[in-house]
This record gives sequence, structure tokens and C-alpha cells, in this order.
Amino acid sequence: MEEILATFRDYCEKPYERAAQIKAAGKTKIIGCLPMYFPEEIIHAAGALPVTLFGSDDPITLGDGHLMTNACDQVRSSFDSLLKGKYDFLDGIAAIYICDQVRFYLEVWQLDHPVDFFHQMWRPYKWDSSTQEFFHRELKRLIARLEEFTGNKITTEKLKASIRLYNKSRNLMRQLNELRKEHPGIIRASDMACVVASSMLLPKEEHNELLAKLLAQLTQQELSAGKKQRIIAVGHPCSMPEREILDMIEDNGMLIVDDDFFTGGRYFSKDIALNDDPLDAIIDFNANAIPCTTGHYADAWIQPDKIYSPYAEYVIDLMKHGQAKGVVVLKEMYCDPYDMEFVLMKNRFEEEGIPYISISSGSLEAIRTRVQAFGETLQFV
Amino acid sequence: MITAGIDIGSTTTKAVVLKADDQFVYALQPTGIEISSVSRQVLAEACENAGLQPEDLDRIVATGYGRISIPFATTTITEITCNAYGVHYLFPNASLVVDIGGQDSKVIKFDKNGRVVQFAMNDKCAAGTGKFLEVAAQTLGVPVSEMGDISQQSQNKVSISSTCTVFAQTEIVSLIARQTNKEDIAAGLHESIVSRVFGLISSVNPDPQAEVVLTGGVAKNVAIVNLLERMLGRKISVPEDPQIVTALGAALLARQWES
Repeated sequence: MEEILATFRDYCEKPYERAAQIKAAGKTKIIGCLPMYFPEEIIHAAGALPVTLFGSDDPITLGDGHLMTNACDQVRSSFDSLLKGKYDFLDGIAAIYICDQVRFYLEVWQLDHPVDFFHQMWRPYKWDSSTQEFFHRELKRLIARLEEFTGNKITTEKLKASIRLYNKSRNLMRQLNELRKEHPGIIRASDMACVVASSMLLPKEEHNELLAKLLAQLTQQELSAGKKQRIIAVGHPCSMPEREILDMIEDNGMLIVDDDFFTGGRYFSKDIALNDDPLDAIIDFNANAIPCTTGHYADAWIQPDKIYSPYAEYVIDLMKHGQAKGVVVLKEMYCDPYDMEFVLMKNRFEEEGIPYISISSGSLEAIRTRVQAFGETLQFV
Repeated sequence: MITAGIDIGSTTTKAVVLKADDQFVYALQPTGIEISSVSRQVLAEACENAGLQPEDLDRIVATGYGRISIPFATTTITEITCNAYGVHYLFPNASLVVDIGGQDSKVIKFDKNGRVVQFAMNDKCAAGTGKFLEVAAQTLGVPVSEMGDISQQSQNKVSISSTCTVFAQTEIVSLIARQTNKEDIAAGLHESIVSRVFGLISSVNPDPQAEVVLTGGVAKNVAIVNLLERMLGRKISVPEDPQIVTALGAALLARQWES
């Protein structure tokens, strides 16, 4: 088991090594996708390999010459990686405008560092019949461009096969998450994040095989949570949380039983239906996705004297289902949508008497004090 | 049971020895860079003051930023939990504590049993902390212990717009160049700290009726106490020895902490 987990960790340490190998073999085109929501299944159905671009932990040196320093780390560090040649193995870039920063960043990217295939897509912030129709056109536009770029026709059958493969991946990750809820600590939260993140870096076929092996070995393990407190962790909507902080949480009397990270529950919670029309299924999947801080819920907001945040309700539900005692919110610095939603979320936590802590930045020692203090607080709840 | 709490702060290390009859004695020293040996010395001194030997201690709880570097501690508990518990012991009706230490400031809301409900910390920069006052005092060329008194002599307080210690220093230098009185600069600096702390207090939604206690080395500064009282619109309680409350909380928690 440790060996497989180490393999997943390795993939996260050297995120693009496998994709670069595949590229060197010469047949498959590699498309880098910026988080989040990009319909990777469509790229896969075109015979290309979608790889998520995470940026890197290295100091940002070149990127700040092109972007403002109050852009989020994900955006700045991705651009820095691009300028340093870390994305040279890519054949193309694809992204959805999930927030203003990404949109702005993509425009700078296109101007300052053009690549052969550069596809930007809109995804509705609010869903109704007109925006669904619009998204349908966006999906058709993506298909047409990918077919032209790869020379491969994306047939309905191919797309359904890709959806089936990605559903299988999501299903395996859900199984792992369920195991974690039943046997907290069976897999460390930092390893869970590596498992999910590596699924965005490897061909799903390879990742599924490795994950199935891990599941077979994990189910043979017996574990007790001991005196540790069950909590859930949320945040990092389009980046990977720092593994050191996840370990710090679990080394300070708490166990993460569920999460809503981009490299976590947010990525695998729901499947795309295997309908006759796969595009309709993709639209349906997006329109009914789990609540997101980048979404708009204007109708529901207009309720006097009531705090309404579908995202906050989703987090509270996660907590209830995970029988968790508290929530750790790991915020990405300068993520505007999350910061704004956090105000509503915080109010809801306070209304419900839910213990929570929010951590965004600081030295590791300062974070350790907050985390340990939160763990101590939970012992009294 | 005889217990000890040792609080390794960024500026001062404090040790409290708590006897079975609830009597406590303490010792303190500047932390310096030899955390482990300074902690041993402070603890030995506190034991001596209590007429005891370090071997007589049944449990030792280490707290403060250097807590993980104390090999002889039974366990570590954060300064958040210890501070609230210590304050609750001294002020049973209080439910909010503002602690302004050398390196950080924190606001802790706690329940009737002294258990932490919510907390907020300023630990990212030195603004709003004792370090801010220290740096400013140095620039003004006055001892930090006199800063509070000097600021109270101000006739025409200036506004220090910067909340960053480094930038504030630049601002002070500019004010000195314009021949502004040090009393007026000091008053502006105190207000800057208190405004920062006030923001931190607001972030935990305190009960408007809560009894507020101020602890930490900065609580010895009368001007800070007065300003905070004015800003909050209520009286603030300050312990006789505001620096040792966290170590006292650690010693109290050592009695009941299960391994």
C-alpha cells in the first residue's frame, strides 16, 4: 500500500513527467487545462491527453513581470511555469473562464506567449434554458476546434466511452472517500489529495488501474480513529492545498473525513450521465454541479433577512454526513469568489454553532498554532 | 499535585509553578535564542521562588511559540487555550481576552468554563504588537517602557496612516524631520496599535456586554489600556501580572490534561 501511495506522491512531485514521456513517444497531443470545470472527456474523446496545470511551489520570479501580484497564486505561478518552460511539452492550452482573474490571465497569456492551440470557453455563471443553450454552442465550438487540431473525429460513441472512463475514475475516488469516512485515517488527507491530483495528470486508464490496486489493499486494513476529532476541510476551489498543512491538521488531534477541494470531493462527487446525447449529459452535469463559489444564485439571494449561500449549505451537509465536529477552511489568497462567499459561510457557521477556522497564509509555525488551538477547542465541543 | 506552565513567548519566557493549595509563583526572563536552556533556567527560578526543586513538579505544560522546543515538558498546549483558561481563573465573569504580545496579538472568546469558542490572531506581521512599539520607541529614541506615559502628554496627536511596522518607521522618520513632537507621534502610534486590535476584536463578534481582559506585556502600557477602553466604550480588566496569565493557564491545564 505504501508503495502505491508513494507512486501517487511522486506523480505530484513531478507533475508533468508522465505527460512529457507520452508526448515524447510522439503520438498523443497533450492539452493543458487550467482548473476548473474543463470538460476533459471531450479532449480525451479527441484522442488527446488533458493535463491539469497546477503551477508550482517554486518562487514566482518571471510571472510577476506580466501579472499583478494580487492575482491568486494559481494564476501567477501557472504563468511563471509557462515562462520558465515547464509547460513546453504541451501542444495546447484550454480553459474555462471561471473567474475574472483567469479571464484576464488568459488574455495576457495569449498576447505574451501564444501557443498553437489556445481554446478559451465560457461556462455560464447562472443556469437557465438560455445559458444551457449557450453552453451547448460552446461545447460544439470546442469539439470543432479539437477535431481540426487533432485530426480525429469526436463521435458520440467515442465521447460516451470517454465519459464512461472518467465516471469509472470518479467512482473509484468516491469509493476511497467513502472508506475514509468509515475508517478515518485509513488514508492521510495529504495522500488523498495526491491521489486525486495525479488523476488529473496521468491518463485515466493508468490512474484507474493504480487506484483499483490501492483500494484492494486498503480495504484489508483495520483502523480506529482513537481520540481524534472528525472534521471536514474545504477551500482551494481550483488549486491543491499544501500537503504540509493537511498533515499538520491530522497530526494535531483531528482527522479529515471529507473535503471540498478541487483535488478532492469537488472533482469526483458526481458522474456525467450516460445519455444518448453526451453533450446534453455534460450540460446537465454542469447545470446541476455541486454548489460553487463561482456560481451566481441571484434569485435565491433576494430573500430579506436570510443568509443564503448554497455553497455554505453544501459544506454544512458534508459536515453532517461525515459526522464531523468542525470545519477547517483553507483559503487560497486573493481568490475573490471564495473570499466573498466565505462571509456568508462564516455567518451560517455561526448561526448553526459550527466550530470553524479559516487559514489563508502565514508562516508554518503560526499556522501550527492556529491548527493546534482549533484541535484543542474541538475536544471541548 | 504540583504543576508548572512555561510560556515561551517571542520576547519573554515566563514560568508559573502552581502548588496544590492554588498558590502560584512565577519567574520570567528574556527569551533570546537559547530557548531550551532559558526555559530550564526560568523554571528553576520559579521553583526556587516556590521553595521547590524542578523534580518536585508532577506535570509541566509548555506553551507559546517555542512550546515544541521544550524536551522536558509533559505536553504542549497552545497559548490560545492556555491564555483563555488563565484569564477565566483570574476573572471568572470575563468572556473575552485581548492579548498583545511581542510578536502577535490575539483576541479569544471563551465560555463560562474558560473554554475557547473562537479566536482571531494577527500573526502575519508585527503591526499591532509589542514589536511595533519597540521599533517605534527605538526610532523615537525613548525607552519602550516610557512610551505610554509620553503618548499621554500629547497635545496634538498625529495620525500614523501605515499599519505596517516597516512603513510606520519611515513615516515616523518623516514626522521627526518635520519637527513633530515625540509625544504626538507616540500618541499616533498607540492609536494605530489599538485600531488594529479593535479590528481583530470585531472579527470574533464579541458579546457587547462581555467583560474584557487585556493581557500580555503590552497590557502594562496605560495609554493602550485607556485607548482601548475608549474605543470599546467599556472598562477593561488588567491582571496584576498581565505577562504570566498564559503560563498560569498552562499550569492549571496541566492538572487536568489527559495524556
